[in-house]
Amino acid sequence: MQGQATQIIHAYRQAPWRVQRQWIGVFLLALICAAMVAALYLDVTARTAVAGREIQELRIQITTVQRENADLETQLADLTSTEVMQQRAVALGYRPVQPGELDYVAVPGFVKPEPDILLAAEDATPHFETLPAEYTQSLLEWFDDQIKVGAPR
Amino acid sequence: MRQQYAIRSLVIAVCLAFVGLAVIVQMVRIQTSEQALIFLSQGDRYAGEFQTFYPERGEIYDRNGHLLAGNRTVYEVGVSLSAMQDPEAMAYILSNQMGLPYEDVHKKLTDSPSSWEYVVIQDYVSVETVDALQKMIEKLDDADDPRLAGLAFKPHLQRSYPEKALASNVLGFVTRDGRGYFGIEEKYNDLLAGNPVQVWVPSDPNKATEIPRVPNGTTLVLTLNRDLQAQVESILDEALLDYGANNGTVIVIDPRNGEVLAMAATPHMDLNNYDNYFSLYDDGSQYNRAIGMAYEPGSVLKILTMAAALDTGVVRPETTFVDTGAIEVGGITIQNWNRDSWGQQNMVGCLQHSLNVCLAWISSQMGTQSFYGYMQRFGLGHPTGVDLAGEAAGRLKVPGDGDWYPVDLGTNAFGQGVSVTPLQMLMAASAIANHGQMVTPHVLYSMVRDGHQYNVPSQYAGSPISADTARTLNEMLAVSLEQESSLALLPGYRLAGKTGTAQIPRDYGYDPYHTNVSFVGWGPVDDPQFLVYVWLESPSASIWSSETAAPVFAKVAEQSVILLNIPPDAVRQQLATK
Repeated sequence: MQGQATQIIHAYRQAPWRVQRQWIGVFLLALICAAMVAALYLDVTARTAVAGREIQELRIQITTVQRENADLETQLADLTSTEVMQQRAVALGYRPVQPGELDYVAVPGFVKPEPDILLAAEDATPHFETLPAEYTQSLLEWFDDQIKVGAPR
Repeated sequence: MRQQYAIRSLVIAVCLAFVGLAVIVQMVRIQTSEQALIFLSQGDRYAGEFQTFYPERGEIYDRNGHLLAGNRTVYEVGVSLSAMQDPEAMAYILSNQMGLPYEDVHKKLTDSPSSWEYVVIQDYVSVETVDALQKMIEKLDDADDPRLAGLAFKPHLQRSYPEKALASNVLGFVTRDGRGYFGIEEKYNDLLAGNPVQVWVPSDPNKATEIPRVPNGTTLVLTLNRDLQAQVESILDEALLDYGANNGTVIVIDPRNGEVLAMAATPHMDLNNYDNYFSLYDDGSQYNRAIGMAYEPGSVLKILTMAAALDTGVVRPETTFVDTGAIEVGGITIQNWNRDSWGQQNMVGCLQHSLNVCLAWISSQMGTQSFYGYMQRFGLGHPTGVDLAGEAAGRLKVPGDGDWYPVDLGTNAFGQGVSVTPLQMLMAASAIANHGQMVTPHVLYSMVRDGHQYNVPSQYAGSPISADTARTLNEMLAVSLEQESSLALLPGYRLAGKTGTAQIPRDYGYDPYHTNVSFVGWGPVDDPQFLVYVWLESPSASIWSSETAAPVFAKVAEQSVILLNIPPDAVRQQLATK
């Protein structure tokens, strides 16, 4: 009976070098996991930084485009101002009309137009007040969020 | 042997562990020390900055979408002192290109406090100047020449008026501090300017924060018709030259809804050079005489007296009055403008010949309570409520006021001893042109904000007279113009109107040599679509309104029917029957 037990113990006892290898394996596994997490974190951080920089650049672009729009609108108004248009009309050989030179024609159903609506001058696109969380939270915060989402309620 | 190795390894491990522990302890100690807090707070200073985002000032358009006030890019030109290498050369180039004194620029570059990193040379520099400087920088960079090293340009927007002086008296202007003065720019300054937003912007791109959207200022659409405004200003400028008047005002409104279609007043000012304000105007009331300057209007006010008398039933168009050339009111004798007697007249004749004696008799018949009650209902003595900054109220003395005398009942009836602004007179006259309903004049047609257009509804200021009275007086004024063969008439169109020649009150009494001439008129009589007021100050060519203000009215009416597409009466009636 005792002999059988000794045989079983011998059969399952590992050699010391085997135990060492197992420990090394566990350590390396932990190290690889840590490296993977670090790499992932680095990647997310780098992408966040790039996105942040892009946002800064886009912000500058938006300001520049808005300014250019305002400039162009004013330039167009300069080119079509009353004074300029009158000068161009005279240069083209036109002269002011006299009341007796006008002919009026009855157009059935014609309704005098109301002043133009200037909606095109404004941006009517919807606007999101906050950035998506991916752009602002750290990996740990994301992990924390995921755990909370998965937790039983 | 193996034991020795084990001991050595243990000693080394302990030493290394001790060193590691010491490093950790030191790290914690440094992180939690008092100095660390100071370093942290110093670091926070560079972690970002509060930035104020100013919205683009709202634009101003006329009723047909022509831009009257917009924005254009200008630059702040500055120098980064740490990057600057040759202050003398920099000062020389900048002073030449920007027209600044060399000493001033050099002083800024060399005498700035040592803590300054950046110094502003000049703000609001034009695009053309900056373009020239940028080309110079490119050339110098290609030649590795550091004379303009450190020069920087910061763009921003500045108010711009593409039409220059057109409608300047209505628009007002914006100074460099972003504040609107006079007219629309002052009245709607808060709407136009929008709301600046202050945001903490981190330098660390990892801490990306979104800047809240800063909506532009509200865009305004005015009731003004740019082309009519230009024509009216041109007619007014011509009139000042033709008749030798000191200043003048012409207003055109739509009597059906109070929309101001054109409002011209002199002097005009190029709004892009508002620095000229102090050389053109003595005080704010002169900026827009149409609303800011009250004066004794003279005989144009007779239409209100007649309206009140017709409405109360004191007189009818056919009522006769025997004009003896003088009437005594409150113990003072009142005479006609030519000191003559005109014999028997009906009420049309009284208006046609503008008889002071007749109108003084009418107001005496009405009595103080009734007469002043009507004048107050016509809005005299109160601002009209027009949406422009700087409106004056005028003055209507009433019984009970310390400076009211019984004779005022007679003189007020023909526009003496009472002061009104041109716009007040126009608003009162709108009751006659618009079936008894008086309109509140307004300049704002609509507001455009966040992609939505909000139209401003017209407002009515009461009905001082009945529609019947208005119709009757309309006819009387049209007939009186026709019988007079007035210079205010326009072929093809039936118009109603009244002249006004008023002596100018001075400290010593009325000026015997100079007059204010006015004309109020509207048309077409059967469906009034424009209402015009003309005021010329002290014309030297003639003191009479019939020879000065009346022809100006005719010219304005002519342009109004063309630009507002109003066919002649005959054509209109033909079109209506189809």
